[in-house]
Amino acid sequence: MWDDGESFPLWGLGGLLLSTVVISAVSMALFWMAAFTLWWQMHAWRTPETLAATRFEAPHGNDGLAFSLLLPARHEQAVLDHTIQRLLESSHAAFEIIVIVGHDDPETAAVADEAARRDRRVRVITDTHEVKNKPKALNTALPHCRGDVVGVFDAEDQVHPELLAHVDHAFRSTGADVVQGGVQLINFHSSWYSLRNCLEYFFWFRSRLHLHAQKGFIPLGGNTVFVRTDVLRDAGGWDQNCLAEDCDLGVRLSSIGKKVVVAYDSDMVTREETPGTLVSLLKQRTRWNQGFLQVYRKKDWKQLPTFGQRLLARYTLMTPFLQAFTGLIIPLNVAVALFLDVPVGVAFITFLPLITAFVTFVFEVVGLHDFGKQYALKIRLIHYIKLILGGPFYQVLLAFAAIRAVWRESRGNHEWELTSHVGAHLSPEEIRA
Amino acid sequence: MTSTLPAADSATTEIPVQQTRAPESAPKKPEQHDKKKHDKKKHDKRWVTVRPYVRFRSSPTDLILCTLLLAAILVVQGWNIAGYPNLSDDEGTYLAQAWAVQEGKGLAHYTYWYDHPPLGWIQIAGLTYIPSLIAPDAMTVGSMRLAMLLVSAVSAVLIYVLARRLWLPRWAAGLAMVLFGLSPLSVVLQREIFLDNIAVMWMLLAFCLAASPSRHLWHHFGAGMAAAVGVLTKETMLVILPAVLLTMWRHSHRDTRKFAVTGAITSCALIGLGYPLYALLKGELFSGPGHVSLWDGIAYQMSRPGSGFIFDAGSGSNGVLESWLYYDKVLPVGGLAAALLLLVVLRWSVTARALAGPALAVAILALVSMRPSGYLPAMYIIQALPFLSLVLAGAAASVSHAVLIRSRRRVDEPRAVTGLRWATAAVLALAALTYIVPKWYDGNRTAMTQDANGPYRAAASWMATQVSDRGDKRVLVDDAMWLDLVHAGYEPGLGAIWFYKADLDPAVSKTMPGGWRDVDYIVASPTVRRDAVDLPNVKAALEHSEAVAVFGTGEDRVEIRQIAAGSGGKR
Repeated sequence: MWDDGESFPLWGLGGLLLSTVVISAVSMALFWMAAFTLWWQMHAWRTPETLAATRFEAPHGNDGLAFSLLLPARHEQAVLDHTIQRLLESSHAAFEIIVIVGHDDPETAAVADEAARRDRRVRVITDTHEVKNKPKALNTALPHCRGDVVGVFDAEDQVHPELLAHVDHAFRSTGADVVQGGVQLINFHSSWYSLRNCLEYFFWFRSRLHLHAQKGFIPLGGNTVFVRTDVLRDAGGWDQNCLAEDCDLGVRLSSIGKKVVVAYDSDMVTREETPGTLVSLLKQRTRWNQGFLQVYRKKDWKQLPTFGQRLLARYTLMTPFLQAFTGLIIPLNVAVALFLDVPVGVAFITFLPLITAFVTFVFEVVGLHDFGKQYALKIRLIHYIKLILGGPFYQVLLAFAAIRAVWRESRGNHEWELTSHVGAHLSPEEIRA
Repeated sequence: MTSTLPAADSATTEIPVQQTRAPESAPKKPEQHDKKKHDKKKHDKRWVTVRPYVRFRSSPTDLILCTLLLAAILVVQGWNIAGYPNLSDDEGTYLAQAWAVQEGKGLAHYTYWYDHPPLGWIQIAGLTYIPSLIAPDAMTVGSMRLAMLLVSAVSAVLIYVLARRLWLPRWAAGLAMVLFGLSPLSVVLQREIFLDNIAVMWMLLAFCLAASPSRHLWHHFGAGMAAAVGVLTKETMLVILPAVLLTMWRHSHRDTRKFAVTGAITSCALIGLGYPLYALLKGELFSGPGHVSLWDGIAYQMSRPGSGFIFDAGSGSNGVLESWLYYDKVLPVGGLAAALLLLVVLRWSVTARALAGPALAVAILALVSMRPSGYLPAMYIIQALPFLSLVLAGAAASVSHAVLIRSRRRVDEPRAVTGLRWATAAVLALAALTYIVPKWYDGNRTAMTQDANGPYRAAASWMATQVSDRGDKRVLVDDAMWLDLVHAGYEPGLGAIWFYKADLDPAVSKTMPGGWRDVDYIVASPTVRRDAVDLPNVKAALEHSEAVAVFGTGEDRVEIRQIAAGSGGKR
C-alpha cells in the first residue's frame, strides 16, 4: 500500500524489477544481520537477572584448586616485573607463575630469573622454537604445569588480587572445565580509535561472551582464561599454526561439550591497553580476522550438536567479513533510496539497515556511559562526539582489516606479523595476543 | 554444555538470579520481606530483588474473572452496535479510506493530504479485510462497527493485565475493566469506528510492556514501538508518551534502566520518523506548489479554530463536555477526582505510586482539554477512558485498603473494630452501587435497544433502489453514507461525492463548473445541514432542491433532495 507505482523513466521494467529485488534482498539481509548482532551485543542487559548472573559469585569457604599461571613474555622486560609482583599479591593460597621467555631474548629472561630468585612460586621456562609465537610458548610450558588449572595472562596485564579466589570458587561451584574472566581495555581517552576499541571490549566481555557461554559455543579470549589442566592436555594444548589460538581453543573445547563459564566484574577484570598506533591495531585486527577464518576452515565447530549452535558458530566466525560488507553497503543503499527512482516501498526497505545502525549507535552511547560508571571514569561530551564521529572511520578500519585478512589467508601467509616484522621495537601492547 | 554461573545455594528461598521468572505465581511476599536475609545478601551482586507479580497463564482465577467480564462487555457493546449511536461522519471518513486502501486506490480515494497519519485506517482496512472479501457490500459503517468489538475486547483485556501489573488486587483490576468497558460513555464511544479507539489499544499495549514484570530490554523496546504505532494511529497520543515513560522508569531495574529507557525512546522515535520519511520519499514533506505536504497538514491541524474554554457555558468545548457527562458522570468526574487524589497522596500510598503513570496521563489530558484556545473534539475523551478507569479502580483499592487493613502496630484489634471496618466498607460499596447501577442500566439499555440509524438506512436503501442510472448520477452525501452509495453503484469520488469536497477540493469542484446545477441529488443528513452554512455549493444545492423522500423527523431527519435543474454536469 506504500507502493504507489510511480513512473520509472530511465529503467526498463525488467531492470527496475531486478534492481528492486536485489536492493530489497540485500537490505533485508543486512537488517537481520545487524539486528541479530545488536540483540546479542545487548545480551547481558536483557533483564536485571541476566545482568546479575554475569557477575562472579562471592567466594565462600576455602580455596580448593591449585593454579599454574602461564605468562608468556617477549621483549617485555619493562613491564614484566610489575606484572609478576602484582600476580604474587594474589590472595589465593596455591598457585605458581610460569614465565615463558625466548632463548633469543636475554633481557626479558634476566627479569624473569630475578623474579624467580626472589619468590619460589615463580618459575622460568625457555622456549627454543626457531620461529616464535604465543601458542608455541604456551605449549612449551604446558608439560611443566603442576596445578589443577592452567591460567593464561599477558606480560602487561594488571590482575586483581582477588581474581584467583573467585575463579576457584566458580570452578568448584559450577563444575566448569573452563572459566573465562573479563578483560577490559581502559585507556579510552588516548585516541579516537582507542575509545571504540575499549567499547568493543566492554560489549564483548560484559555481554556477548555470556551469550556464547549460554548457547554452548564460545571463542575464548587471549588471557584471563582458565582451563582444567587435564582437559587442556587431552585437547592437545593450543594450535601452534592458528593465528587466533585462543578462539580456536574455545571452539574446540565447546564443540566437544566442555562446560565453559564466563564471569565479569568491573572490579575484577584484567586491565589492558589498546594498541599504541593505528597500524598496530590494524595488524592485530588482521591477525584476529585471519585467525577466525582459519578456525572457520578447521571445521571443529561442525561437531556442535544442534543446528542453531552451528549457525551461531558460522555467523560468529564470519562476523568480521560480514561487518566489512555492511560498512560498504549501507551508504550505497541510502544513496539508492534517495537518488534512484525506486518505488516508495523499496526505498523504505533500503532504510532498514540504517535504522539498525542507528539503534546500535544509540546503545553504544549508552554503553559508553555505563562503561564510565562501572570504571569510575569521567566520560566527557567530547568522548561521545568522538564515539559517533569515529564510528564510520572505525568501520572502514575494520573493513580494511577484514579484506587484508582474506588477502593474506588466500596467499597462504600464516605468519605472526608482529613477531616477524616489528621485532624488538614492540611496545608491550603489541605482543599481546 | 556451557552456561553462565548459577547463583549461590539455589535451594534457599532467595530468587536465584538466572531464574528469570519469579518462582511461584503471585507470591505474596512484599519487596523486602526478610530484612535479615536481605542484609546478608546485600553484598552478593548476583542477587536481584524480584517483585511479586501475576502469571496469568497459571492463574485460573484471573483468567476466569477476565473472561467473564470480557463476555459481558462484548454483549453490551455488541448488541445493537449498528443501531446506536448515530453514524458519525468521521466513522464514514475512516472506513471509506480503509476501503480505498483495500481497493488499492492509495491511502484515500480523494488525494491523501496528511490530515492524519494513515496507519489508523490501514489497520481498519486490515481488520475488515476478510469480512469485506466474504461480503463486499458489508463494507459500510453500520456493519463494520463489529470490527471495533475486537479492538474493544483487546483493550479491555489489556486494562486488566495492566491493572494487575500495577499491583492492583484482582477485584480492582476487574473493576477497572468494568469501568472501561461498561460505562455508557465507553459503550457509545467504543462502538464507533474512531482511530482513537485503535490508538488507545496500542497505548495500553505500550503500558503493559513498560510495566512488564520480567523487565526485559526487548519488552521495553516493544513498548516504544507500540507507543509509536499508537501515535501514528492517532497523533493526539503524543501527549500520553510521558506517562508511558514514567511507568517504564518506575518498573525498570536500576542496573538496566538506562538501556531499557533509551531503547524505548529510540524505537519510538524511529518508528515515528517513518511517517515523515514516507512524506520525504514521496517528495511531500514540505509545502510547495501543486502538491499536498505533511507540513501543510500539520499547519492545518494546528490552526484549527478553537472551540473555546471547556467551562465557558455555551462554548463548543463546553457542549462536548456536557455530551460526555450526559452519558456518564462517574467515569469522567470520578476518574479525574481519583487521579488528583492519587497524585496528592503519592508520598504515602503504595497504590498511588504504582498508578503514577495512568494518573499522570489523566492529569495531562485534563490540562490539555482546558486550553482556552484549543479544539476539543467529541472523541477526545476516548484516550482518557482507560486511564480514568485505572485510577478510579486504584483509588477504590486505596480507600478499601485504608478502611479494611488494620495497621501493623495494632495486632490485637477488638472484634468490634474489625466488624466496624467491614461495615464501613460494605456501606461505601453499597452507596456506590446504588448511585451507579441505575444510571448505567438506563444508559446501556438505550444503547442496546434504541435504533438511531433507521433514517440513514432507509435513505441509503431509497438511493439504492429508487434512482435509475446510478452510475451517471452525482450525489452530495455525507461520509457516513458514502460507502452505501458506492456499493449501490454510484461512482466513488465524482459520482458519490463527500459533500464538502464540492467546495473544498479543487479536484472535485473543477468538475462542477455549474456549481449546484451539476449535481443530481443531495442527501441532507443532520451533518450536511449543519456544515452547509460555510459551504456555498452545498448550501446552494440545498436551496435549489426539493425533498423527494424524508426519513425520520425533526433535527435527526434525513432528506433526499433532488436538484431541480439537475443536468449531471461534465465529468
